[in-house]
Amino acid sequence: MAAAAFERRVLRRAAEHHYLRVRLELPDGGARPNAAQFKQLVVTALRELHGEVGAALPVDVLTYEEKSLSAILRVISSGLVKLWSALTLLGFYQNRRCAFRVLQVKPYISVSTCVIWQQ
Amino acid sequence: MQPAQLGRAPRHLLVCERGHARHPRSRHAAHVRDHAYSCRVSFLIPECGLLPEVLKSTIADIGDYYLVRSLPIHELVAHEFIDAFVKKGSCYALTYKTKIDQDNTAALLPNGKLILSVDKDTYEELGLQGRPSRYSGKKVMRYSAEGSTLMSYFSKHQIQALRPKITFSTLRDLQCPVLQSNDLQGKPEESCSTEELFEWLGAVLNQVSLDNKSSSFLSTYCCPEPNTVVEKAFLCTITGFIIPEKIIQLLEQLCCYFGEPKLAYWLTLTVHGFADSPVSWRESEHGFHKGGENLYNFVIFRNLDYWLQMAVGAHDDCPP
Repeated sequence: MAAAAFERRVLRRAAEHHYLRVRLELPDGGARPNAAQFKQLVVTALRELHGEVGAALPVDVLTYEEKSLSAILRVISSGLVKLWSALTLLGFYQNRRCAFRVLQVKPYISVSTCVIWQQ
Repeated sequence: MQPAQLGRAPRHLLVCERGHARHPRSRHAAHVRDHAYSCRVSFLIPECGLLPEVLKSTIADIGDYYLVRSLPIHELVAHEFIDAFVKKGSCYALTYKTKIDQDNTAALLPNGKLILSVDKDTYEELGLQGRPSRYSGKKVMRYSAEGSTLMSYFSKHQIQALRPKITFSTLRDLQCPVLQSNDLQGKPEESCSTEELFEWLGAVLNQVSLDNKSSSFLSTYCCPEPNTVVEKAFLCTITGFIIPEKIIQLLEQLCCYFGEPKLAYWLTLTVHGFADSPVSWRESEHGFHKGGENLYNFVIFRNLDYWLQMAVGAHDDCPP
């Protein structure tokens, strides 16, 4: 057994990325975007609010569920405010009214709000 | 907004500890015990396809929790209740479907302390002076305590016994980071850091596909390097109101898993706290802010070294 060593590190504001759990609302009930179209919509939202520099912000669509139009996005922490504001202010997808609902924002990718309350 | 603020994310803390599970002064059990309210426990064992024998009885014995509707909180400070349950220890309670940043919330700790998180009007009405008082609000409560006597004690209220939901799955061809137990920070080309492991584990638990190229349009996320591909990995998730005593038992049995030679180098145990709990560790106040995260994760190595990551958000104190 190696000499029992104890180490403790406290990392403050050190998460490189933030994770957003989002849902797209498309009230007209028309065709749903696929994953690539969803990602393109996120890029469009960034471009509309923050221009070409904003659109170049690396955003990852980690998961996407077409049925519920919900996704987990990953963005570098310094881009969180830009991404969140862009999603909030997006109003149209292919001339159809839409809205992004940002359900959770976390510095660690953890599970969604516990479902046990639904029992 | 100033440019500096545009790039600033909310404050969050990640505490990373390294120790050995059999060291007499190891604090791993104390950390679990101090975190009272857990809603989801998951463990992942690489190179394993089925629930190991050593864990079967602990899983079967996770224990029920109880949902009591329309219970006035003053019943929790009644002498009969305290004598029947609180003095026996291991009695935990938390209000149900209350939002910590909007609603009045209550929590009962096993040491008998009742934590009330109330709004301004309620506080003024109650005349609280930092101590629990008679509170006539009607809230649904959740309890977790020993025995079926809770059912008879609260029989005049609507009480329901609930079983935690347990799911098993076997992941195939999973890319797992290579870790060195004595190196939390990792070394390029040799091992991954604790933060990389934490992010990878979050991806696995959220079914993020790791089979990805960083040049993909959708996502650049890939398993951290260096990594190995394991043929199978066993994932078990328990969702409900799970008390620390059961988590400590589970942790102990996971350490016993390595009592016999195994292919896996490490396994993980992840515990999520309730996002709307009024406390995180011990009696530190917990707030939701934008996510309500208060979770911890163990990585147990073959030699029983462990890593522990404890993560909280902006409205939390640093975990002990």
